[in-house]
Amino acid sequence: MADSTRRRAAIVGGNRIPFARSNSAYAQASNQDMLTATLDGLVARFGLQGESVGEVVAGAVLKHARDFNLTREAVLGSRLAPTTPAYDVQQACGTGLEAAVLVANKIALGQIESGIAGGVDTTSDAPLAVGDDLRRTLISLNNARTVGDRLKALARIRPGQLVPEIPRNAEPRTGLAMGDHAAITAAEWEIGREEQDELAARSHQRMAAAYDRGFFDDLVTPFLGLARDNNLRPDSSVEKLAKLKPVFGTGEGATMTAGNSTPLTDGASAVLLASDEWARAKGLPVLAHLVDAQTAAVDYVHGGEGLLMAPVYAVPVMLARNGLTLQDFDFYEIHEAFASTVLATMKAWEDEAFCKEKLGLDAPLGAIDRAKLNVNGSSLAAGHPFAATGGRIVASLAKMLHEAGPGKRGLISVCAAGGQGVVAILES
Amino acid sequence: MADPSPGRTVLEQPPSMPALFAKAVLTARGRGGELPGTRLARTGVTVDPANLAGYARVCRFPLADALPATYPHVLAFPLQIALMSDRAFPLALPGLVHVRNRIDVLRPIATTETLDLEVWAERFARHRSGATVDLCASVRSAGAEVWRSRSTYLARGARAPEGAPESDVTVAVGDLDRAVATWRVPADAGRRYAAVSGDVNPIHLSGLAAKAFGFKRAIAHGMWVKARVLAALENRLPEFSTVDVAFRKPLFLPSTVTLSTAQAGGGWDAAVRNARSGTEHLVAAIRPR
Repeated sequence: MADSTRRRAAIVGGNRIPFARSNSAYAQASNQDMLTATLDGLVARFGLQGESVGEVVAGAVLKHARDFNLTREAVLGSRLAPTTPAYDVQQACGTGLEAAVLVANKIALGQIESGIAGGVDTTSDAPLAVGDDLRRTLISLNNARTVGDRLKALARIRPGQLVPEIPRNAEPRTGLAMGDHAAITAAEWEIGREEQDELAARSHQRMAAAYDRGFFDDLVTPFLGLARDNNLRPDSSVEKLAKLKPVFGTGEGATMTAGNSTPLTDGASAVLLASDEWARAKGLPVLAHLVDAQTAAVDYVHGGEGLLMAPVYAVPVMLARNGLTLQDFDFYEIHEAFASTVLATMKAWEDEAFCKEKLGLDAPLGAIDRAKLNVNGSSLAAGHPFAATGGRIVASLAKMLHEAGPGKRGLISVCAAGGQGVVAILES
Repeated sequence: MADPSPGRTVLEQPPSMPALFAKAVLTARGRGGELPGTRLARTGVTVDPANLAGYARVCRFPLADALPATYPHVLAFPLQIALMSDRAFPLALPGLVHVRNRIDVLRPIATTETLDLEVWAERFARHRSGATVDLCASVRSAGAEVWRSRSTYLARGARAPEGAPESDVTVAVGDLDRAVATWRVPADAGRRYAAVSGDVNPIHLSGLAAKAFGFKRAIAHGMWVKARVLAALENRLPEFSTVDVAFRKPLFLPSTVTLSTAQAGGGWDAAVRNARSGTEHLVAAIRPR
């Protein structure tokens, strides 16, 4: 059982900028620009101008070498007091949720009273690296002491080396794009095209409805002329999605399209966490508490497990520790990296053999009520700026739980590159 | 385009800066007389996001929803050059030195606002080494003035008309003995700022061109130095502010300079000086309005 005597970190609220498809509204914005704007929006929302919080924890998955201290630099450029400490984390798509867990843990331990967790990513202003051969040559050029040594180093440069390395959304150890990995899992679990398109269309429709009823009014601040996520297609439908050609997987079994996979996206998010006492003293609300969290990793390289299946393993560990079943939740937020990932995750939890053999459980975790899944849309609609997704989900779920009333419970599941997963429980 | 107010001309397009500089050089001789009453205006001006992003990068501003305090100057400057390069303007543009710039931010301007610009010249004044003139700019949004500036230029050896007032080019700042940052200003700093601001005055572009106008090397744009000072203080500045700077000695390129800052009067004092010699390039007083 989780220790029920320790204090729990409160989620006070969140802020994000609308997410923008790659090379659109935020084509000129850097990670630091977006994270700073997001922090300033949070500061404005909760009246933190000139104030210090215990710690700001954030990160980016695609990061320039010059951004080694990205979060601290964003803090120094924000309206927070310059005496606010900060550090960077990176756990691929799990970054944002992991940042929230780290802040919550320090609050739970009494090491800090308040903190901000966030994440940002840009695929527009992406870092380019010189190829490894050229990089080595340039280093020896820099180290050369004589003209002769310098010339020797320069002579090693070949025209072909001058093409920069563009970061790819691929696993270093398998060379496969994340979508290719997901397609393998989709085929293994026999996830059909139609159910993927249904899930994608529902994500768009639900998020558009949430925007229309003002759900995001206190969660999103417009940025650079954008007021809503520009990937959002309110008129998305299964019929329209069915027309798209598969982009991942091969042959007959290829079911994954640009419509049921998340696009490359730019954006940032931040969440304000605190002790109940701090929130009370400031006159700020407590939307929910972060109850517990768990990470897991799978051997997707040689072990035969799917790249994005780690959350499937993390959830039962966390449920057991908290004496809960998979059905004890009012909301489920399963990050839509791909529609097929969400469907494969749920199918695995329902599968008796898998739960027994892989998860070591006596009985399957069972089905979840689809009406409680991603009720205000998720990444297929909003887009997925890798490190910013966790903050988007935590803030939205905390608000949903608060609106539903006290004692409601929500489950978050986020899959990440490298075969990792981060999951968490929030409770109002 | 005809305009109801006398002496006011509304331009449909921003004037071409290289052409204006060429005209100003060719027509430099034989100027004199009083300031013209001309007012040049442009209406319905919107900010080009790519240009703003370039400007922000060169001046080290974050890309945000509000315009940097110095950015409207970039919009108004071509009109001021058009006014100064016109034959009716009494001073020759080559040789004019920007000695003071005061900006009033009446409220933050969103990057998406549609702006009306107007510029004019006033205050032809006596200075111990010549004459000064103020080039003014006013920016309006939806009819209300949101930003204005006053750039004071010195013409060495020139004479102000009979009865002209005394020039005021001093900006008072307190002690600034603590350097907080060191900036390496590269040789191409002038070319980079010229590319985003349109200020292609040759004295900023290359050493050779600068020599032709009597400078030993190319010099940094004063408005770039001012912008970098503001960028360094960006998030600590009052939202409604007056930013008054005096440009002292030219900043020759390349240089290493220091920034000194101190809180003063609810805002900031700042100075930019040569890192080795201590030569003062700029002092700034930033105050809330």
